[in-house]
Amino acid sequence: MSIQVLRIAAVLYALAATFYVLYFARPRHARLATAGQWLLSGGFLVHAAAIGLGCKEYGGMEFFSLRGGLVTIAWLAAGAYLVLQRLYRIPTVGAFIMPLILVVLGPALFLTNPNLPETLPETVRRPVLTLHIVSALLGVAIFALAYVVAIMYLLQEREVKGKHFGALFSRLPSLDSLDQLNQRLVRAGFVVFTVALVLGAMVARHVWKTAWEWDPQQVSSLVIWSLYGAMVQLRHTGWHGRRYAFLTIAGFVLVIGSMVTLNVIPGATRHGGSFQ
Amino acid sequence: MSPAGVELFLVGLSHKSAPVAVRERVALSGDVLKEALVRLQASDGVREAMVVSTCNRVEVYVYADRLEHGRRFFLERAEQAEGHLYERSGREAIRHLFRVASSLDSMVVGEPQILGQVKEAYGIASSAAAAGSFFSRLCNHAFAAAKRVRSETDIAKGAGSVSQVAVELVEKIFGDLKGRAVLLVGAGKMGALSAKALRALGADRILVTNRSPERARALAAEVAGQAEPWETLTSLLALADVVIVSTGAANYVVTRELATQVMKARRQRSVCFIDLAVPRNVDPALGELSNVYAYDIDDLQKVVTQTHQARAEEAIRAEALIEAEVMAFSRERETRAALPVLAALRRRAEEIARAEAERTLAHVGERLDDKGKRSVEAMAQAIVNKLLHGPTARLKEAAASGDSDLPGAAAELFGVEVEHNERARPEGETRGPAPLEQNR
Repeated sequence: MSIQVLRIAAVLYALAATFYVLYFARPRHARLATAGQWLLSGGFLVHAAAIGLGCKEYGGMEFFSLRGGLVTIAWLAAGAYLVLQRLYRIPTVGAFIMPLILVVLGPALFLTNPNLPETLPETVRRPVLTLHIVSALLGVAIFALAYVVAIMYLLQEREVKGKHFGALFSRLPSLDSLDQLNQRLVRAGFVVFTVALVLGAMVARHVWKTAWEWDPQQVSSLVIWSLYGAMVQLRHTGWHGRRYAFLTIAGFVLVIGSMVTLNVIPGATRHGGSFQ
Repeated sequence: MSPAGVELFLVGLSHKSAPVAVRERVALSGDVLKEALVRLQASDGVREAMVVSTCNRVEVYVYADRLEHGRRFFLERAEQAEGHLYERSGREAIRHLFRVASSLDSMVVGEPQILGQVKEAYGIASSAAAAGSFFSRLCNHAFAAAKRVRSETDIAKGAGSVSQVAVELVEKIFGDLKGRAVLLVGAGKMGALSAKALRALGADRILVTNRSPERARALAAEVAGQAEPWETLTSLLALADVVIVSTGAANYVVTRELATQVMKARRQRSVCFIDLAVPRNVDPALGELSNVYAYDIDDLQKVVTQTHQARAEEAIRAEALIEAEVMAFSRERETRAALPVLAALRRRAEEIARAEAERTLAHVGERLDDKGKRSVEAMAQAIVNKLLHGPTARLKEAAASGDSDLPGAAAELFGVEVEHNERARPEGETRGPAPLEQNR
């Protein structure tokens, strides 16, 4: 049931993506961007309904699978972009973020959840766990936006530096605004991710009886946290622009890469679906 | 040709036909222009008049019985104008005005100022009571056509001049220049132009430096900036976000070493160098440093050339638009010219119908009830409608297709007298200045 609803949301996202890309190609028609935004808002709401239905269907267990994680990240990224759009009016970003959302969401449209545990053990049923999951996924969603903005920065920088003042040059926002936006997203994502890490340690102390035990998930999260933390810090020493964009991209690749790897290799981590 | 033999005539000269020495002799503005308009309009045979006078063109438009009025306007002012004048009449003149307003006839095709200048010309003509209802309709149509060209083609897109390219570049790097500093190195004219253009991006701090302190001060006064001693160049570079260089030096004023040192001092904050000098004053190797953006005059000129090429292509689309607008205007105008004849014809026929119906009713009226009386009146009206249906349609069609002989022939054939004021003023209702946008 929830998968059908999710497919409807995906269709709306695909339409939104189409309109944003058309707007990017024909910036004179501002209505294309407006249409994209309405479709995105609609998709976001349908997506929310799909997640709600999924909760009922799997008893909340789907958040412990890679599929559930990706579905939620896509949803949070769509929501975060809607908020961003309200704050900064940057419809051109839509043409870049929407395809990424579709890529993240894509596999979930055809896979159902494989053998999820029936119920959650009593020991982990705590509000801290819910908050941990939500904040971790929101952090990743914000890093996804930063990743997209960093790519836009690099594209525009290539145009500006390469003295190639073509279609991309005139359509992409200014380097300074992309750089600033990237920095803000990295900072916001870092704060949310820090919260997720602390909450995760609290859950671990409860379930694993120790807050830190060098689980691969914990290690990779620490590496990611340090990288983004370093970026927030480096900003104060004048780091910006191209190098900053590269770091943002590396950070997100690391986030998604570790997330997929740890979930795909069985027994790689005690984090997530296995509660031994 | 409109029924009364009055037509739009244009006599003018522009950057395409006359050197500036001739243009400046005939150009006029303000009160002198108003006076000239009043005199022009007072001459015999001139209904309305308008003069578009800018630094690139002087054009006299008269709604009159012949072209000579326009020619006289120029020859009175400067005899050497003879030989540089071009003349248009009727639809050609209308098209010319539409093209001028749409910036298709400008030196830089697509430049935005000309529409404002034509609007101003119309405003002056109308306040001098030289432009009446004809020019009101004509100009409003021209403005609407220009607006269409601007919004439906890319003719105004891109940067048309070097300083515009500089502004566009800086905008793509910094977004805006609020709270940022612009440094002008050297006293080149193009540098000053670019610095002024950058004010549009909110640059509130313009620093000027030059080897000669006097020239620095003079230039600073011109661009409303602040003169700084040449010896402080390095610290100025650490301060400024946009550096425009146009000195007469034969070697690099900003070398790679200097830039590296400056970037360290400004903690890697982005900086944009625009080198307008020939030979170049900024080492092109600067572009290899990160967060340094360096452009020379060739880079900017290349963009200008590209823009001009793109605009030339868009101009073809714009011409088609203009053609359609000219057609629409002429058709509207000729329909109007046919209307008085139609109105007179109908009035005449209805008079007859009413009289005949009354006569019939006077004879047989007593034997008819109310319904019967109404039927007689309705029958008379129906005969009129049926009879006039064909001629009406034919006249409107003829008018729309530009055949202006038929209305006169119809008037003669049916023996209707078109009232004098209608015939004399086929274009409109009132004389005198009509408000803008009235007819669109």
